[in-house]
Amino acid sequence: MGAKLITVSTDTEFSHLAWKRDEKELADVQYLMGADPTGRLSRMFGVYDEESGLALRGTFIIAPDGTLFNSEVNFYNMGRNIDELMRKYKANLYLTKKADEGCPSKWKEEGDQTLRPGPEMVGRVHEALKK
Amino acid sequence: MENSVLKVGMQVPDFAITCYDPRAHDFTKVALDQLQQDGKWTILFFYPADFTFV
Repeated sequence: MGAKLITVSTDTEFSHLAWKRDEKELADVQYLMGADPTGRLSRMFGVYDEESGLALRGTFIIAPDGTLFNSEVNFYNMGRNIDELMRKYKANLYLTKKADEGCPSKWKEEGDQTLRPGPEMVGRVHEALKK
Repeated sequence: MENSVLKVGMQVPDFAITCYDPRAHDFTKVALDQLQQDGKWTILFFYPADFTFV
Protein backbone atom coordinates (compact mmCIF):
# COMPACT_ATOMS: atom_id res chain seq x y z
CA MET A 1 0.00 0.00 0.00
CA GLY A 2 2.93 2.33 0.59
CA ALA A 3 1.72 3.97 3.78
CA LYS A 4 2.82 3.17 7.33
CA LEU A 5 -0.17 1.93 9.29
CA ILE A 6 -0.02 1.99 13.09
CA THR A 7 -2.92 0.91 15.25
CA VAL A 8 -3.08 2.56 18.69
CA SER A 9 -5.00 1.77 21.86
CA THR A 10 -4.39 2.59 25.51
CA ASP A 11 -3.36 -1.03 26.13
CA THR A 12 0.31 -1.79 26.73
CA GLU A 13 2.55 -3.38 24.12
CA PHE A 14 2.38 -6.61 26.15
CA SER A 15 -1.35 -6.78 25.67
CA HIS A 16 -0.87 -6.24 21.92
CA LEU A 17 1.56 -9.15 21.79
CA ALA A 18 -0.85 -11.44 23.67
CA TRP A 19 -3.83 -10.38 21.58
CA LYS A 20 -1.99 -10.92 18.32
CA ARG A 21 -0.91 -14.34 19.53
CA ASP A 22 -4.40 -15.45 20.64
CA GLU A 23 -6.78 -13.91 18.13
CA LYS A 24 -6.86 -15.80 14.86
CA GLU A 25 -8.48 -12.82 13.13
CA LEU A 26 -5.14 -11.05 13.59
CA ALA A 27 -3.01 -13.88 12.18
CA ASP A 28 -2.00 -11.90 9.08
CA VAL A 29 -1.31 -8.62 10.86
CA GLN A 30 2.00 -7.07 9.86
CA TYR A 31 1.48 -3.51 11.00
CA LEU A 32 2.89 -1.87 14.13
CA MET A 33 0.61 -1.99 17.16
CA GLY A 34 1.16 1.15 19.23
CA ALA A 35 0.70 1.36 22.99
CA ASP A 36 -0.62 4.59 24.53
CA PRO A 37 -1.33 3.71 28.20
CA THR A 38 -0.89 7.32 29.38
CA GLY A 39 -3.27 8.57 26.69
CA ARG A 40 -0.73 11.15 25.53
CA LEU A 41 -1.03 10.42 21.83
CA SER A 42 -4.80 9.87 22.04
CA ARG A 43 -5.22 13.29 23.70
CA MET A 44 -3.01 14.91 21.05
CA PHE A 45 -5.46 13.73 18.41
CA GLY A 46 -8.54 14.47 20.48
CA VAL A 47 -9.77 10.86 20.83
CA TYR A 48 -9.05 10.20 24.52
CA ASP A 49 -12.20 9.46 26.54
CA GLU A 50 -11.40 10.78 30.05
CA GLU A 51 -14.21 8.73 31.64
CA SER A 52 -13.18 5.33 30.33
CA GLY A 53 -9.44 5.83 29.74
CA LEU A 54 -9.92 4.40 26.27
CA ALA A 55 -9.40 5.82 22.81
CA LEU A 56 -12.34 6.44 20.49
CA ARG A 57 -12.29 4.97 17.00
CA GLY A 58 -10.28 7.63 15.21
CA THR A 59 -8.37 7.37 11.95
CA PHE A 60 -5.86 10.06 10.99
CA ILE A 61 -3.92 10.31 7.74
CA ILE A 62 -0.63 12.24 7.96
CA ALA A 63 1.25 13.46 4.87
CA PRO A 64 5.01 12.85 4.53
CA ASP A 65 5.67 16.50 5.47
CA GLY A 66 3.72 16.14 8.74
CA THR A 67 0.48 17.85 7.69
CA LEU A 68 -2.69 16.21 9.03
CA PHE A 69 -4.83 15.61 5.95
CA ASN A 70 -7.77 13.52 7.18
CA SER A 71 -9.59 12.82 10.41
CA GLU A 72 -12.49 10.46 11.08
CA VAL A 73 -13.76 9.72 14.58
CA ASN A 74 -16.60 7.33 15.47
CA PHE A 75 -18.15 6.42 18.80
CA TYR A 76 -17.50 2.97 20.29
CA ASN A 77 -19.90 0.64 18.57
CA MET A 78 -19.37 1.70 14.99
CA GLY A 79 -16.50 0.26 12.97
CA ARG A 80 -14.75 2.16 10.21
CA ASN A 81 -15.01 1.16 6.59
CA ILE A 82 -11.64 0.09 5.19
CA ASP A 83 -12.68 0.75 1.57
CA GLU A 84 -13.33 4.35 2.58
CA LEU A 85 -9.90 4.57 4.20
CA MET A 86 -8.29 3.24 1.00
CA ARG A 87 -10.31 5.72 -1.07
CA LYS A 88 -9.06 8.64 1.04
CA TYR A 89 -5.47 7.45 0.99
CA LYS A 90 -5.51 6.95 -2.80
CA ALA A 91 -7.14 10.36 -3.26
CA ASN A 92 -4.38 11.97 -1.17
CA LEU A 93 -1.70 10.31 -3.31
CA TYR A 94 -3.43 11.36 -6.52
CA LEU A 95 -3.95 14.96 -5.41
CA THR A 96 -0.31 15.42 -4.42
CA LYS A 97 0.49 14.76 -8.08
CA LYS A 98 -2.40 16.81 -9.46
CA ALA A 99 -2.76 19.82 -7.23
CA ASP A 100 -5.14 21.64 -9.60
CA GLU A 101 -7.75 18.86 -9.57
CA GLY A 102 -10.41 17.81 -7.10
CA CYS A 103 -11.72 14.31 -6.32
CA PRO A 104 -15.54 14.41 -6.25
CA SER A 105 -17.57 12.22 -3.88
CA LYS A 106 -17.89 9.33 -6.34
CA TRP A 107 -14.14 9.18 -7.01
CA LYS A 108 -12.68 5.84 -5.94
CA GLU A 109 -9.35 5.50 -7.70
CA GLU A 110 -7.03 6.96 -10.30
CA GLY A 111 -8.80 7.03 -13.64
CA ASP A 112 -12.14 8.07 -12.17
CA GLN A 113 -13.50 11.46 -13.08
CA THR A 114 -11.99 14.49 -11.36
CA LEU A 115 -12.92 18.17 -11.44
CA ARG A 116 -10.77 21.17 -12.29
CA PRO A 117 -12.13 23.94 -10.08
CA GLY A 118 -12.19 27.39 -11.66
CA PRO A 119 -14.48 30.35 -12.46
CA GLU A 120 -16.14 28.51 -15.39
CA MET A 121 -17.35 25.81 -13.02
CA VAL A 122 -19.05 28.14 -10.55
CA GLY A 123 -22.73 27.08 -10.48
CA ARG A 124 -22.00 24.56 -13.26
CA VAL A 125 -20.72 21.50 -11.37
CA HIS A 126 -23.66 19.39 -12.62
CA GLU A 127 -22.59 19.97 -16.24
CA ALA A 128 -18.94 19.40 -15.40
CA LEU A 129 -19.70 16.02 -13.84
CA LYS A 130 -21.79 14.98 -16.84
CA LYS A 131 -18.86 15.43 -19.27
CA MET B 1 4.08 19.00 24.49
CA GLU B 2 1.02 19.78 22.44
CA ASN B 3 -1.61 21.85 24.30
CA SER B 4 -4.29 22.16 21.67
CA VAL B 5 -5.95 19.28 19.85
CA LEU B 6 -4.67 18.70 16.34
CA LYS B 7 -6.93 19.71 13.52
CA VAL B 8 -6.80 18.85 9.84
CA GLY B 9 -4.35 21.18 8.14
CA MET B 10 -2.07 21.51 11.15
CA GLN B 11 1.47 20.13 11.39
CA VAL B 12 1.62 17.01 13.51
CA PRO B 13 4.46 17.46 16.00
CA ASP B 14 7.03 14.69 16.12
CA PHE B 15 5.91 11.99 18.54
CA ALA B 16 7.28 8.62 19.61
CA ILE B 17 5.28 5.57 20.59
CA THR B 18 6.23 2.15 21.92
CA CYS B 19 4.90 -0.60 19.67
CA TYR B 20 4.70 -4.33 19.34
CA ASP B 21 6.07 -5.21 15.90
CA PRO B 22 4.54 -8.51 14.74
CA ARG B 23 7.08 -8.88 11.92
CA ALA B 24 10.08 -8.74 14.28
CA HIS B 25 8.09 -10.29 17.16
CA ASP B 26 9.61 -7.58 19.33
CA PHE B 27 8.90 -4.27 21.02
CA THR B 28 10.20 -1.10 19.44
CA LYS B 29 9.88 2.64 19.96
CA VAL B 30 8.93 4.43 16.78
CA ALA B 31 9.04 8.16 16.02
CA LEU B 32 6.95 9.97 13.42
CA ASP B 33 9.96 11.17 11.49
CA GLN B 34 11.27 7.59 11.21
CA LEU B 35 7.97 6.50 9.67
CA GLN B 36 8.10 9.38 7.22
CA GLN B 37 11.49 8.37 5.86
CA ASP B 38 11.21 7.50 2.18
CA GLY B 39 8.40 10.02 1.87
CA LYS B 40 5.70 7.74 3.30
CA TRP B 41 2.26 8.65 4.49
CA THR B 42 1.33 7.58 8.03
CA ILE B 43 -2.08 6.27 9.04
CA LEU B 44 -2.91 6.24 12.76
CA PHE B 45 -5.80 3.95 13.59
CA PHE B 46 -7.05 4.38 17.18
CA TYR B 47 -9.37 1.83 18.77
CA PRO B 48 -10.71 1.34 22.31
CA ALA B 49 -9.27 -1.96 23.54
CA ASP B 50 -7.54 -5.22 22.69
CA PHE B 51 -9.54 -8.42 23.11
CA THR B 52 -12.76 -6.66 22.17
CA PHE B 53 -14.86 -6.95 19.07
CA VAL B 54 -13.50 -5.20 16.04
